[in-house]
Amino acid sequence: MKTNAIRGYVVDRLQYALNPSSVAVIGASRCPGKVGHKVIDGLQKWGYQGKIYPVNPRAEKVAGLKAYPTLREIEEPVDLAFIAVPAHLVKSILEDCVAKEVKIVVIATSAFKEIGRGELQDELTEYCRANELPLIGPNLVGMGSPALNFNCGFIPYLPTLGPVAMISQSGANLLAALGTSQKDHYGMSFFVGLGNKADVDFSEFIAYAGKDDNTKCIAVYMEGLDSPEAFIEACQSVAKPVVAIKVGRSPIGVKAAFAHTASENVRDDAYYDEVFAQAGALRATTWQEFLDVSLALGTQPALRGENVVMITNGGGSGLLSCDHFDRCGLPLKELKEISPSLAGRIRAYMPMFGSPLNPVDISGTASPTQYKGAFMQAMRDPAVDGILGSICPTAVTNVDAVVDVVIEVHDRYRRLGKPFIMECQGGEECQRAIMKLRDHGIPAYPTAEQAVNAMVALYRYGQMQKK
Amino acid sequence: MTEKQYLLGTDEQQQWMREYTFAPRGNGFKEPGVLGMDAKEFSAFNVAKSFYQVHPEVFNLKLVAEKTGVAESEIAARLKRMIDRRLIMFVKNSSVSALGFGLYYWIVKMKKDCPPQAKAQLAEWIQNKDEICTGYLTEGDFDFFCGNHMRVLDNLLCGVIEPIRRNRWVESIHLCPIRRDVRESHVNLWDAPKADYRRYLWSDAQKTNFLNSQNEMDATDFAIIDILNNVTSIEDFFDYEVLGQLSGLDPAAMKKDLGWIVDHQRYVVPMFYFNYQALGLNMHCYLIRLFQNVTSCRKEQIVDELSQYPEFNNIFEFSDGIYDILVSAYAQLTDLDALRTMLDGYAEIEEVWEADSPRQFRRWTARLDKDADMWEECIFTDDFLQDRTSWPIEPAGEWQEKGGEER
Repeated sequence: MKTNAIRGYVVDRLQYALNPSSVAVIGASRCPGKVGHKVIDGLQKWGYQGKIYPVNPRAEKVAGLKAYPTLREIEEPVDLAFIAVPAHLVKSILEDCVAKEVKIVVIATSAFKEIGRGELQDELTEYCRANELPLIGPNLVGMGSPALNFNCGFIPYLPTLGPVAMISQSGANLLAALGTSQKDHYGMSFFVGLGNKADVDFSEFIAYAGKDDNTKCIAVYMEGLDSPEAFIEACQSVAKPVVAIKVGRSPIGVKAAFAHTASENVRDDAYYDEVFAQAGALRATTWQEFLDVSLALGTQPALRGENVVMITNGGGSGLLSCDHFDRCGLPLKELKEISPSLAGRIRAYMPMFGSPLNPVDISGTASPTQYKGAFMQAMRDPAVDGILGSICPTAVTNVDAVVDVVIEVHDRYRRLGKPFIMECQGGEECQRAIMKLRDHGIPAYPTAEQAVNAMVALYRYGQMQKK
Repeated sequence: MTEKQYLLGTDEQQQWMREYTFAPRGNGFKEPGVLGMDAKEFSAFNVAKSFYQVHPEVFNLKLVAEKTGVAESEIAARLKRMIDRRLIMFVKNSSVSALGFGLYYWIVKMKKDCPPQAKAQLAEWIQNKDEICTGYLTEGDFDFFCGNHMRVLDNLLCGVIEPIRRNRWVESIHLCPIRRDVRESHVNLWDAPKADYRRYLWSDAQKTNFLNSQNEMDATDFAIIDILNNVTSIEDFFDYEVLGQLSGLDPAAMKKDLGWIVDHQRYVVPMFYFNYQALGLNMHCYLIRLFQNVTSCRKEQIVDELSQYPEFNNIFEFSDGIYDILVSAYAQLTDLDALRTMLDGYAEIEEVWEADSPRQFRRWTARLDKDADMWEECIFTDDFLQDRTSWPIEPAGEWQEKGGEER
């Protein structure tokens, strides 16, 4: 349901969705294969330290924990009520939540507005709003905080800890992001599925993320935006980058978005471009771009100017990059345009057949020493705004040593506030390099275009900050 | 060419037999008129099933109060006690043939020298086997009577029958494909003679014996269940206003929808299950084999005649198997000799095997093993859209040969 503005009581209560002292799981099942069991199992498996109260009127125990017939019969206070029961039970359970003075309620259950039960969903939402009980969902997979080992839902992964707050309407895409986080070290501060977002809206989680110390970038996957005013208000109020991907732009996509999360898209897609522009949110077009860009914005400062220097040991990777920079409206400048003396200084770190143009090709024989010298020269030059490095392993490339060089240079000159992005294109050693770089806060990617997209996003964010 | 629907619950349903000379065979959940269990038409049942353990007022207490003279609050309290004591469970039976499944039972007989622990081991395997929806432990001429609804018979053979057959202590295992599911848990189902559909039956002598033989349920308790299970229309089973208050769904729509499915289409029957094992009763089974030259028409007549005996709490008719009929009655409450004499009066019956069941493992997917705290845990056991023939085979107890992991 629409919210015209960010609601303070909702934002204040969101801490109980991501850092609760106690969780009641309504619909906790004794059967290991069932969803209601997986929620408890996940909380225990990932090491949640708070209290867990299974609610199941048929069971005496679930997963070794005492089960309660109803929420009201739990003697202790309950911060978070996680509901995983059929839709027809939800009304009664919400009444129990209000009576029990639960801090926040999450409804994982499907079969509401997305299958035509909009009236019931609205009634439940109005009931929660009248009682100032924030409701997340329905029709979602869950949420979690990796720093707290808190993983609440039907979620097989706990992401690696990092700077990105992932707010997703889609459960499947949230799970995909979590899987990517584990596999590719895409770090998250917290994650949440919003599903039908009957009550709690993007805007309130954005406002919460704005105050969350662990969050440096806010990533939002949306299928519908029924409260654009609140979204704009939220984005403008946070001093952190917001990256959004909005789907449902094709005619069939509009229908699919409704069938999935009851999202209504009555405006054409250009409207959302305007909303994002007004909000100061960066819009990603593809899922990969969404992840790549949010990782860069979460770990690197904004690119303050247009002077990007690319240093690579592979001319082909340099060409892919400079063409893509051009397509993205941020063409690379020749090194001599950026800084007349920089080309000469960098020449010392490449063989005679290398090229100091930009991309700077230090050649396939480049050693860690040559990489280090070139990176440092570029980084120290006041005219350079950002650096894109590239590793294209040849038989003589010591990838591990180059990675260590990158980390050293990045850490040493972090105070200069210049973004440093890496591309590592190749086999397993490059995948390991990407992981290690990401673990040290350096956005690294397997293709030239991904790395360029990340740098361009930092530039666009820098331009937005200037407005 | 437009596809004909032969819609369940309409005149079209009967058109099939005018156009084809063979009986219809279902296609899991896709038969015209059949709805999934989560369809809105099932809402009343689903809401009641979800709430009755805490809110027994989901049932039509007003009707019971009118018929018994007992206050609604006391009726609710009595229901709650029976539920909490696990003497009853609110359940439903589904006409799986209408839903597109075959319903297969099987009889297991252990070898004479089978040690008790070997039988107990197989019993636990059956108890925990999620490919078996209903099962009874028995003692007498046979040792287990179990069943499941299957789309593909091979799945049953590979997943259940073969592992049991390979148990070194098993003498025989015989399939009993259900032709008619006439009565279960005292309630007449869709395959009972049509006028008797949904009647809840006990003989007067059984009622008297039951009330005199235990202290868990008194005459009022019995009457509560009897009245609700015997309502002429399912629309009288529930308090739809309570269902509406609890769920937020429209009471009138829930009532109309469930009435259509249960009273008109007749492919699902909600009821209270009577937990005989919790009440210290044994279910005495008569497994009947007719001579093979008995016509199918006469076989149906015999089953119809047996269905007139309220003493039987279960009545199954089989086809394509060694056995033809299974009926059962509580050993402690029934004149078993009289029933046996009655059965012996049928010249068409070649043989009757008898066994007592002190334990039921599951009832239509609902687990009944309260000792393991699995009471009322429901596992969907059907195989729709599955090929279980490639699943790893799971030994059922002690095997008589090695290399059983290969199929």
